[in-house]
Amino acid sequence: MSPTALALVQDLRLFLPEVILVLTTLLVIVLDVTPVRKSHRALLYLTFCGLLLSGIYLLRHYVDLRESGGRASSSNVLLFGNSIALDPFAVYFKGLFLLVGLLTGVLSIRYKKLNPAGEGEYCVLLLCSTLGLFLMVGSRTLLMAYLGLELVSIPSFVLAGFQRDSRLSNEAALKYTIYGAIASGIMLYGMSLLFGLAGSLDFAAIRHALEGQTELRASPLLLSVSMLMILAGFGYKIACVPFHMWCPDVYEGAPTPITAFLSVGPKAAGFGVILRFFYQSLSTHSGGGDWTPIVDQLQWPIVLSVLSVATMTVGNLAAVAQTSLKRLMAYSSIAHAGYLLMGVVVLSKDGIFAILFYLAVYVFMNFGAFLFVVFLHDLVGSEDIEGCRGLGWRAPFPCIAMAICLFSLTGLPPLGGFIGKFYLFLGVIGRELYWLAILGVLNSVVSLVYYARVVKAMFLENIPRGEAEPLPVPFFYSAAFAVLVAPILLLGVYWAPLVKLARYSSSIFGA
Amino acid sequence: MSLLDAYPLQHYLLVSAALFALGIFTLVARKNAVAMLMGVELILNSANLNFVAFSRYTVGNFSGHLFAIFVILLAAAEAAVALGIVIGIFQNYGDVDADALDGLKG
Amino acid sequence: MPTTFPILTLITFLPAVGGLLLLLRRDEGDSETRTLAFLFSGVTFLASLPLFFGFRNDTAALQFVDVRPWIPALNIQYKVGVDGISLLLVLLTTFLMPLAVLCGWKAVERHLKAYYACLLFLETGMIGVFVSMDLILFYVFWEVMLIPMYFLIGVWGGPRRVYAAVKFFIYTMTGSLLMFAAILYLYIYLGTPDRTFDVELLVMRLRGLPFGAQMVLFLAFGLAFAIKVPVFPFHTWLPDAHVEAPTAGSVVLAGVLLKMGTYGFLRFCLPFFPDASHAVMPLVSILAVVGILYGGLMALAQEDIKKLIAYSSVSHLGYVMLGIFALNLRGIEGGLYQMLNHGLSTGALFLLIGMIYERTHTRDVKAYGGLAKAVPLYAVALMIVTLSSIGLPGLNGFVGEFLILLGAFEANWLYATLGALGLVLGAVYMLGLYQRMAFGPQPARAAAEHPLEDLTTRELCILAPILTLLFVLGLCPNVFLRTMDASVNLLLAHLAV
Repeated sequence: MSPTALALVQDLRLFLPEVILVLTTLLVIVLDVTPVRKSHRALLYLTFCGLLLSGIYLLRHYVDLRESGGRASSSNVLLFGNSIALDPFAVYFKGLFLLVGLLTGVLSIRYKKLNPAGEGEYCVLLLCSTLGLFLMVGSRTLLMAYLGLELVSIPSFVLAGFQRDSRLSNEAALKYTIYGAIASGIMLYGMSLLFGLAGSLDFAAIRHALEGQTELRASPLLLSVSMLMILAGFGYKIACVPFHMWCPDVYEGAPTPITAFLSVGPKAAGFGVILRFFYQSLSTHSGGGDWTPIVDQLQWPIVLSVLSVATMTVGNLAAVAQTSLKRLMAYSSIAHAGYLLMGVVVLSKDGIFAILFYLAVYVFMNFGAFLFVVFLHDLVGSEDIEGCRGLGWRAPFPCIAMAICLFSLTGLPPLGGFIGKFYLFLGVIGRELYWLAILGVLNSVVSLVYYARVVKAMFLENIPRGEAEPLPVPFFYSAAFAVLVAPILLLGVYWAPLVKLARYSSSIFGA
Repeated sequence: MSLLDAYPLQHYLLVSAALFALGIFTLVARKNAVAMLMGVELILNSANLNFVAFSRYTVGNFSGHLFAIFVILLAAAEAAVALGIVIGIFQNYGDVDADALDGLKG
Repeated sequence: MPTTFPILTLITFLPAVGGLLLLLRRDEGDSETRTLAFLFSGVTFLASLPLFFGFRNDTAALQFVDVRPWIPALNIQYKVGVDGISLLLVLLTTFLMPLAVLCGWKAVERHLKAYYACLLFLETGMIGVFVSMDLILFYVFWEVMLIPMYFLIGVWGGPRRVYAAVKFFIYTMTGSLLMFAAILYLYIYLGTPDRTFDVELLVMRLRGLPFGAQMVLFLAFGLAFAIKVPVFPFHTWLPDAHVEAPTAGSVVLAGVLLKMGTYGFLRFCLPFFPDASHAVMPLVSILAVVGILYGGLMALAQEDIKKLIAYSSVSHLGYVMLGIFALNLRGIEGGLYQMLNHGLSTGALFLLIGMIYERTHTRDVKAYGGLAKAVPLYAVALMIVTLSSIGLPGLNGFVGEFLILLGAFEANWLYATLGALGLVLGAVYMLGLYQRMAFGPQPARAAAEHPLEDLTTRELCILAPILTLLFVLGLCPNVFLRTMDASVNLLLAHLAV
C-alpha cells in the first residue's frame, strides 16, 4: 500500500463513528426495499442501534483523547490532510448530535403524521443530516465547513417537506430550501474572496496569512465583506437576525420531530463552526484563555454582539404575539441563538465553555418542549396554545414536565437553564460587557412573558366545557418526559460533572 | 501563459462580481421559485469562478479548483432536491409563485 | 440539641419533602391531604422552636450554621445560618404557615393536593431566603418562591387572578434578574483568589468598592428588593395580588413575602454598599414617607376590604423602610420589629377577612355592618387586630412604630414628622373600617335570611396563637429585641466604616 493510502486507512480508524453512521445509512437503504420495512418502525430502531454504536466508538475516542492527556497533543489529531480535527471540542459536539438524533427518533415513534411507507427515507435523511453535523464541527477548512453545512442542509430540506400531502409542509420545505440556497451561495462567495485574500482554505493557514501580510490588514474592507458574507451562511444555520426569516415558517410547517431536530442540531453545529472559524482564523490567543481579533479594523466581536442583541430582542418580542406553540418555540429558539452569541463575543474560553454547557442543557429543554407538542397533537389534536387550556389538570405529569422545560428556558433556578445562563452572563460580565448583560437580562424578562403564557394556559385557565375528565397518558410519553426532564432538574442542583466535561472540551481554546 | 497575461485577475473578478450581482437581482426581482433557483445557480457559479481564478493566479495550487468541483456537485444535488420540492408545491398549489405561498404567517 | 445537627437544613427542606409527598400520593382523600399538609408545616414549626431557645444573644456571629461545598470550582457553597436579623423572620414564617394551611380548610376545594404542595414549596422557598448565606443559594430560593406563589394566585385566586398572577410574576422577575447580574458582577469584581458568594466574606471583601460601583450595584440589588417591599412607586402589583390571592396566599404574601424585600436591604444592600446606603438615604426616606402617606390616603378611599389592607401594607412597609434607612440602632431594630408586627397583624387581618368572606362572599365594606352584635367573638378579634395595626400601646404595633419614629427623629426630624402624620391616617382608616363593619345597621338582606355564624373552633384555634403573640410582642418586647442587638450593632459598625 502506498503511504498516502496507508495514512488514509489510519485516519479512517479515527473516523469510525462517522463510518458507522454511513454504514447504517446504507443498511437502511438496502433494508428499505426488502420485506423488513413492513414491520412497524423497524428501520427506526435500526437507526437507533446505528447511533448508539457510533456513540460507543465516540466514547472510545473520548477516552483515548483523555488518556493521551496533553491538551496540545490531543488537539493536534487532524484527519484527511488536515481537513478534519478530532479533538475534545468536536467529540463533545458529536456526542450532543448523537443525542439529538436519538431524541428525534424517539419523538418520531408516535408522531402520527409520519407516513410509515416513507420511514426508510426518513431514517436515511436523518442519519445523513447527523453525519453532516459531525463534519461541520470537525471542520478545519472552509471546504469541509461548506461540505458539512450542505450535508446538513440538503437532507433537512427534504425532511422539512416530508409530509408530501401537506401544503404547509411543502411550503416550509420550499422556503427553507430557497433561503438555505441563498445563504450558502452568499457564504460561498465570501469564502472565495477570503480564499483569494489569504491564499488558503485552512483555518490555521488563513490566520498565518492574516498575521503575516501587513498590506492585507491595511485594507480590511474586502476582508470585512467576505467575513460578513460567510457569517450569512453560519447565521442561517443558527437562525440569528437578519438570517432568521425562514425559521418560524419552517418550524411551523415541518413535522414536529424534525422541527425539534432543526432547533437544536444545526444550531449547535453552527455554533461549533462559528467558534472554530472566528477563533481559529480571525483571532489570536493572547494568553490565559483570552482572545483578540487579529485585524484591528476587523472588530467582528462588535458585529456579533450587535447581532446577538438584535437576535434575542427580535426573537423574544415576536414570540410574545404567537398563538401556535411551534411558532412560539421557533422564536424562542431565535432568542436563544442570541443568548448563545453572547458567549461567542466575549472572546474567552469562559464564553466558549458557557456555550458548550448551555447547548447540552438546551438539548433537553427544547426536546422536552417539542415532545409536548407531539403529545398535544397526538392526544388533543392541536398544536396551539389554545389546545393546552386546562390540560394541566387533565394530564398533570406531561404538563408539569412542559412547565419545567419552559421555566428552564426562561432561566429560573433551580433548573439547568439557569445554570447555563449563569455561566453565559458570568462570561459577559467577566469581560465587562455590561450593556450586553443588561440587555440580555431584560430579554429574559420578556421571554418570561410568553413562556408563562403557555403555563398559564395549562394551569390557570379554565378547562373548556365537557373536557373535564382526566386524559389517559400513554406510558411512552410519561417515560419520555421523565427522561428529558430528569437531566434538567439534576443539572440545576448538581452540575459539576457537566462543567468538567465542557471545560475539558473547550480546552482547545486555551486552558 | 499568454492567457494569463492577456486577462489579468481583475477581469475574472469583475465578471464574477457581475454574476453575483445578477444572481442577487434575480432573487429579489423574480417571484417564481424556479427562477429564484436559477439566481442561486448564478451566485454559486460566481463563487466558482472566483475560486478557480484565485487558485490559478495567486494561490498557485489546485485547492480552489477542488472547491469548485465540490460546489458543482453540491449545486446539482441541491437543485435536484429543490426541484423535487417545487414539483410537490406545484401538485399542491397548482402554482410555483412565491407569493402564492402564504399558509405560514405570523 | 447538639450544635452539629443541621437543624436549619431540616426546617428548610421538610416542607418541600411534604409537598413532594403530597404530589406523589395516589389516593384522593381530601381530609388526609389537609392533615398531612398541616402536619408537615406544624412539625416544621416545632422543629424551628429550638432556634429561638438555643439562640445566643451575645454574639453577632451566625448560628446553627451548616456549610457544605456545592460547586467548589466556583466557590459556591451550601451555607445556611441565622443571626439576629433573620432569626425572628424564620420563626415568623414557620409560625404563620400552619395557620395559613388551616385557614384554607373549607374555602379551597379544587386541586387540593396541588394547593397544599404549593404552600409547602413556598414555605421552603421563604425559609431558604432567610437562612441562606451564600448569594447563589439565596438567589435560587428567591426565585423558587415565585413559582408556587404564581400558581397560588393564578389557580386558586379571585376573578382577575390570572392578570394578578402574571403581573406579580413579571414585576418580581424584572427586579431579581437585575440583581442576578449584580451578583455576578460582585463575584467578578473580587478577582480570582478572593472570588466568593459567601455573604459573610463578601461583607469583608467588598470594603473599598468604589463609590460609583456601589451606587450602581445598590440600585440593582435595591430595585429587586424595592419591588418586593414594595416601595412607592413599585407597589402597583401588590393590591392586585392581594385582592386576587386566596386567603392563605394573602396571609403569606403580607406576612412573609413582603419582608423579604426589607430583609434584603438589611442583609445585602446596607453591609455591602455602606457609602451608597448613606448617599441614597434621603431618597429612600422620601420614598418611604411618600409610601406611608400615599398608602394611607389610598386606603382611606377603598371600598374593597382586601384592597384597603393592601394599601395599608404599603403604608406600614413604608415605616419599615423609614426605620431601616434611619441607619441607627433604634431605627433598624424598630424596622425589624415592625416587620414582625406587620407580619402578624396584617396576617391576622387577612385571616379574619378570609373568614368573613367565606360566609358572605363579598369584600365590599358596604355589605357589612353590625357585626359586633351578630358575631361578637369575631368582632372582638377584629378589634384587637385593628388596634394592634394602628399601634395602640400595650400591643405590638406600638413598639415598632415608636422605635422607628425615635430612630427617624435622630436621623432627620422632617421625615419623622411627616411619617408620624401617617399614624393619624392609619388610625382613621383602620378605625373607620372597624366602625363600618362592626357597628351601624346590619344589612337587612343578610340578617333576615342567613344569620352569620360566629367563629368556629377551628377558626378560634387559628386566631388564638396569633392574638396571644400580639400581646406578647407588645408587652415584653425586650425578649425579642435582645436577640437583634448584637447583629444590628455589627451592621452599624459596617455602615460606619
